[in-house]
Amino acid sequence: MINQLNNGFTIFLSLLVEAMPFLLLGVLFSSLLLFFVDERKLVEMMPRNPLLGALVGSMIGFLFPVCECGNVPVARRLLMQGVPTPVAIGFLLAAPTINPIVIWATWTAFRDQPEIVVLRVLLSLIIATTIGFVFSFQKDLSPYLQPTIVRYLKFNPPPTPETKRTKKRPLVEQEPTVNILQSGNYILGGKAGISTRIGATYNQSNVTPVNANKTIKDKLLLVLDNVVQELRELGGVMIIGSAIAASIQVLAPRELILSLGASPVTSILAMLVLAAVVSICSTVDSFFALSFASTFTSGSLLAFLVFGPMIDIKGVGLMLSIFKPKALFYLFALAGQLAFLSTLFLNLHVM
Amino acid sequence: MASIKNTQSKIKHKLLSWLDVAAITAWGVVMLKYWLTGKLNLLIHPDYFWLVISGGTGLLIIGFLKGVQVWKHRRRDQPPDNQQHINIFPPGWSSALLLTTAILGLMITPRVFASQTALERGVTDLLGATRSQPQSFRATVRPEERSLIDWIRTLNVYPEPDDHAGKKVKVQGFVIHPPELDQEHLVLARFVITCCAADAYPVGLPVQLPDSRDKYPPDSWLEVEGQMITENVANKRQLTIKATSLQEIPQPKNPYSY
Repeated sequence: MINQLNNGFTIFLSLLVEAMPFLLLGVLFSSLLLFFVDERKLVEMMPRNPLLGALVGSMIGFLFPVCECGNVPVARRLLMQGVPTPVAIGFLLAAPTINPIVIWATWTAFRDQPEIVVLRVLLSLIIATTIGFVFSFQKDLSPYLQPTIVRYLKFNPPPTPETKRTKKRPLVEQEPTVNILQSGNYILGGKAGISTRIGATYNQSNVTPVNANKTIKDKLLLVLDNVVQELRELGGVMIIGSAIAASIQVLAPRELILSLGASPVTSILAMLVLAAVVSICSTVDSFFALSFASTFTSGSLLAFLVFGPMIDIKGVGLMLSIFKPKALFYLFALAGQLAFLSTLFLNLHVM
Repeated sequence: MASIKNTQSKIKHKLLSWLDVAAITAWGVVMLKYWLTGKLNLLIHPDYFWLVISGGTGLLIIGFLKGVQVWKHRRRDQPPDNQQHINIFPPGWSSALLLTTAILGLMITPRVFASQTALERGVTDLLGATRSQPQSFRATVRPEERSLIDWIRTLNVYPEPDDHAGKKVKVQGFVIHPPELDQEHLVLARFVITCCAADAYPVGLPVQLPDSRDKYPPDSWLEVEGQMITENVANKRQLTIKATSLQEIPQPKNPYSY
C-alpha cells in the first residue's frame, strides 16, 4: 500500500515535472500571441469556409509549437478573439501533433519506420479537420461552451463573415466591428467606453481605463500578469489531471492492457485506452509508443499517437475551461471513432 | 463600512498575489532541486533534463518578476483583472493546490521503482516489451561487458537462446521473486524509461541460483557473474543466467536504464 502510494506519487511528480515546461511554453506563447500578434489581422486572415477553416486551424500548430498542455490556452484565446469555431477546434485537436517539435520527436523515435511519422501527421490533420468541419454545422455554440466564454463572446461578438459587399464598404463603416474585435485592447485598457461596459458586466467597477498606446514595459508587465494567471489556473487543473492519471496507472493492471496487444482490433482499443490513461505530452509520447513497438500492431501505435494528443485525462480539466462536458464528449467520441476506424483500416489492409 | 470592506478586499487581493508568487517560485525550486540533488533521473529521461532545468529557471524568473511587481504595487489599488481569464476555481484555490504539491514534492523524495511494481507492470513476461529498434546496439561488445539491457537487446535481435548459451555474463540489477518461479530461481531486472517514470517498464532475465532465493530478498541489488544457459523456466524455454557468484551491491546512483 505504502509502496503503491510512493509509486503513484513518483509517477505524478514525473508527469508534472515533464509537463510543466510545456505548460509554461504554451502559456508564454498564448500571452505573447495576445499582446504582440495583431489578433484582428489573424482573425481576418482565417478563412470563413468551414472546411478550409478547419484545415487552416489544424495547421496553425506550425506557428505555435505547443503540446496538449499548451494548446488549450492558445485555443481558448483564439476562440475568444473571434476565430471561427472550425478553426479553433481544428487547432485544439491538431496543434499538439502538427507542429515541428512533435514531428521531429516522432521522427527521432521512429526513424526506421518513416510511415509512422507521415501517417501520424496525415491522420491527425484529417481527423482534426473533419471534427472542426462537423462542429461548424452547429450554428450557435453557446450550449457547448462554458458560460463565462459565452458571456464574453456575447459582449465581444466575433466579426460578421466578410462578404464581398462588406469589403466594398468604406472603412469608416467597418469601424465598430474593428473596435469590438480589439478585445486585447481591453486588457491593455482599450477605449474607456468599452472597458467600463465590460467592467460593469463582470461587476468590477474599479477598472481603470488606460491609454491604448502602452509602452513596451507596460505591455511586458501585462504579459507577466497574464502568464501568472494562466499558470496558476491551468497548473491547478493539470495537477488534478496528473493525480488521476497516476492513480489509474498504479491501480489498473498494465498486463491486462498489454495482453491485448496482438490482435488488430483489441490492440487499437487498448492503445486508445492507454493514450487516455497515460496522459503523456505529445512532444515525448512517440518515445513512449516506441516501447510498445515490439508487442503492438503498427496501427495501434498510430492510434495512440493520433488520439493521445487529442485527449488525455490531464487535459480534460484544461478543456473544461472552454467547453461543457457535453461538447467534450462529442469531441472525444468523434476523435476516438475516427482514430479507431482509420487505424483499423491500416491494420487490416496496409501494414 | 464600505471602506473596511474595501480594505479587506485589498488585503485579500495582496495575499492572493503573494500566493501566486509563492506557488510559481516553489515549482521552480522543486524542479531545480531535483536536478541539483541528482534525483531528476528518477523522474525523467536525461534527454529531457534541459527542459526541466530551463522550465524551472523560467518559473523562478516569472515568480521573481511577479514578486517585484507585487512589491512595487503594494500601495496601489488593485490592478484591473484580465477579463479574458476564466476562473473555474474559487480565488486562491488553484495557487494553493500548486503550492501544496510543490511543498509535498520538496518533502517527499521520489523512490526508485521496486520489484512489486515490476511484477505489477508485467516482468512476468520475462523478456517483456522493449524497443524494437535498439538504438545503441553494439554486437561487438564482449559478452561479459554487456549490461542487462544489452543482453535483452541482443536477445531481441537474436532470439534463439541456444545462440548465447555458454557465454560469460556479468550484470547488475535488482531482485524480483516472481511467484511462478521455484526457490532456485529469481529474476534480475532493471527498469527502462524512455521518457519519464510514467512509462518505466521492467526488463529482466531469470537467474539460476546455487542456493535458495531466500538469501537474496526482493529489491536488493546484485552483481551476478556466471554463464548463459538455456533452461525451461516457468514452462518457457529461455535464456537463463547460471550464477557462479552473486554479490550484493548498493543501489546505483542512476538505477534506470535508457
